[in-house]
Amino acid sequence: MRRILIIMLLPLMLAVGCKHKTETPAEGALYVRYASLPETSVAQVCGFQLCDTVSVDVVLLQAESDEAWQRMKNEFAIVDSIGVTSWLADTEEPATRVKWEGQPLLRIIASHDKQAIGLYRLDSEEQYDALVDYQLNKMTNDK
Amino acid sequence: MTFESIWEQEERQGLQRRLRQDYPAWLRRRRQKRRTAGGLATVAAIALFAAVALYNNTLTTKDYESVYCNRAGTTDAQWVALAGKTLTRAMI
Repeated sequence: MRRILIIMLLPLMLAVGCKHKTETPAEGALYVRYASLPETSVAQVCGFQLCDTVSVDVVLLQAESDEAWQRMKNEFAIVDSIGVTSWLADTEEPATRVKWEGQPLLRIIASHDKQAIGLYRLDSEEQYDALVDYQLNKMTNDK
Repeated sequence: MTFESIWEQEERQGLQRRLRQDYPAWLRRRRQKRRTAGGLATVAAIALFAAVALYNNTLTTKDYESVYCNRAGTTDAQWVALAGKTLTRAMI
C-alpha cells in the first residue's frame, strides 16, 4: 500500500516541480519605462530563445503613428531615417551608445520601415555571441 | 457422550474442515486482488508520468517564457515573431 502511495506521489511532486520552474519573471524596468508612451505599443518578451541553451529578455516598441515614431527617434537619439539602425547601449540609458566590455548592456535595433525598436538585454558574453549567431543564421537561411 | 456434545464436536470439526478448504482459496483471491491493484496503480502512475512529462515538454519547447504588453490586439506569438524578425533583414 505504501509503495502504491509513493508511486502516485512521484508524478505529483514532478508536476509541482514543473510549476515552480515555469514561474513567470516580473515586468522589467525598461518595459515599465516605455509602457506609458503615447501611441506606442510596448511589449516585453521574457526568455526569448536564441538557441537551445541561451535566451534573452526583449522589449519591443512599435510606433502607431509618424508622430510617435518621431518621438521615439528623439528619445533614442536616432538620426538616420532609412534602413535599420543598431547600436549597443547602456542598460539605464538606451540612448547612450557604448562598447561591449563584458558588462550587461542592450543591443538595440531600430527599423525605420516598421517604425519599431527592439531592445535585447545582454547580461553575458554567451548571450552576446548567441545573438550574433542567431542573426547570422537567420540571414544565411533567408538568403 | 450426549447428543449435544456430539453435535458440537461435529460442528467444530466441520468448521475446521471448511476453514482448511477455504483458507487457501481466500488467500489466492486476496493475492490476486493485490496484484491487480498494484498493476492498475503502476499503469496509472506511468500514464500520469507521461502526461506530466508531455505537459512539461510543451512548456519547455516554447521559444519564450512570457509576454507583457501594454495594448490589446496583438497576440504573444506576434510579439515573439517580431522579436525574431527584428534580428533579420525583414526589418530593412
